[in-house]
Amino acid sequence: MKFFKSLYEYRELLKTSISKDIRGKYKNSVLGIIWSFLNPLLQIAVYAIVFPLIMKSNLPNYTVFLCCGLIPWNFFSSAISRTSFTMIENGNIIKKVYFPRQILPLSVVTSEAVNFVISTIIILAFVLGYGMGISKFIIFYPLVLLVQYLLLVGISFVVSSVTVYFRDLQHFIGIVLQLLFYATPIVYASNTIPENFQWILKFNPMTYVINGYRDIFYYQQTPDLLSLAIVLGISIVTCLVGYMIFNKLQKRFAEEI
Amino acid sequence: MKNNEEYMIEVQEVYKTFNVYLDKANSLKEKMLFWKRNRKEVRQVLKGINLNIKKGEAVALIGVNGSGKSTLLKLMTKIIYPNKGKITINGKLTSLLELGAGFHPDFSGRENIYFNASIFGLTKKQIDDRLEQIIEFSELKDYIDNPVRTYSSGMFMRLAFAVAINVDADILLVDEILSVGDQHFQEKCINKMKQLKQEGKTMVFVTHSLDSAKELCDRAVWLSNGVLKLDGKTNEVIEQYIKETA
Repeated sequence: MKFFKSLYEYRELLKTSISKDIRGKYKNSVLGIIWSFLNPLLQIAVYAIVFPLIMKSNLPNYTVFLCCGLIPWNFFSSAISRTSFTMIENGNIIKKVYFPRQILPLSVVTSEAVNFVISTIIILAFVLGYGMGISKFIIFYPLVLLVQYLLLVGISFVVSSVTVYFRDLQHFIGIVLQLLFYATPIVYASNTIPENFQWILKFNPMTYVINGYRDIFYYQQTPDLLSLAIVLGISIVTCLVGYMIFNKLQKRFAEEI
Repeated sequence: MKNNEEYMIEVQEVYKTFNVYLDKANSLKEKMLFWKRNRKEVRQVLKGINLNIKKGEAVALIGVNGSGKSTLLKLMTKIIYPNKGKITINGKLTSLLELGAGFHPDFSGRENIYFNASIFGLTKKQIDDRLEQIIEFSELKDYIDNPVRTYSSGMFMRLAFAVAINVDADILLVDEILSVGDQHFQEKCINKMKQLKQEGKTMVFVTHSLDSAKELCDRAVWLSNGVLKLDGKTNEVIEQYIKETA
């Protein structure tokens, strides 16, 4: 409770650091904000060319299928890899002024979430472009987004605070994210995986998140609400545990950075 | 335990140690290869400090370099935490420890006022209300919409100081910054401090300038090797301090 009070008190800081984050990202590049679209588009193009070549896929409109998985995944992976740098990047203010430190990972995750919501335009453009249309199931989009957001907040609390003491985590995370990319049904559908590997997908909360988006935009059916509810529960627990870890570790941030 | 509220700052039996790594193994590889090498020296900086500061008091912390003054100030702002003991702050606190935190060189002076003031916990509306005052105090009216990277270091400090001083806190912690800008601006700062003091703000200064300590503070606290050596009227403490360190 005390945390929410201080967060409310410092809401302006949260707001400005989110907007600074979004605007600062492309400040010195020629194409500026266009990169927010160009980046995922190029990535989709590469994957859409490569993967059908190396694996047989009988999914119709594979590009749309890919896009529904890849864009939420980018939100996930860039939020996590960026939170691992955020404390060290902001070391000079941490050493100088007091403010609730949780604001730093929170603003990274939130600005990535804003970025993701904007990139959803790409998904919509593909869905429309391939003549699939937008379904009424889009009303579930905020729910899936909330699940993913809370999951990321929890993970970011842990990652951002632990990296201060253990810098290797930055590199470690890069590898883990790459592994996780293939352990999540992004370039393939979950039912194409052999039975003996299914457990990996089952224990990966991102599976349900990606499948949620895909149900909404690609299959155009009601997402698996029970699973999403369970992942929501897991996300909330992650947030609480992450918050406790963060709180414990943050006391020596200024000395360790 | 009586009348606890009359104190704005309560420091009770505070101990602080720093780990000084002689050669720190920062990565896993280094930690595994040189696990024996990870020697550290524990430096005891504060050894049981007790200090209560009442509302409206202006206190100078004096002492030679390394006596723990700045550490004590940082503990009060909650940038770092004590190993033992307790610090209670009653009221909104702002620190002028290091100015210009959160300034982004590519953004304009005006935008940076918003960034910087928000770090001090001000809301948009509160900043809007103070904006004119801040710009006027900084005397940067003509440059306020230029990016901060085009400022001279003096202009930068003036802007930073103007923000920090206008936050409207109950407690001000000031670390050796009465050397901002030119003579004219320094006088302005000192006058502003005096004005704040008259308004009943509580202030703690860390300073080596004994003259400004005499001018601004009615109480001085002398720290020596992490313990409180003398606490009393500014003139008396300073006199004793000069006698012993000279």
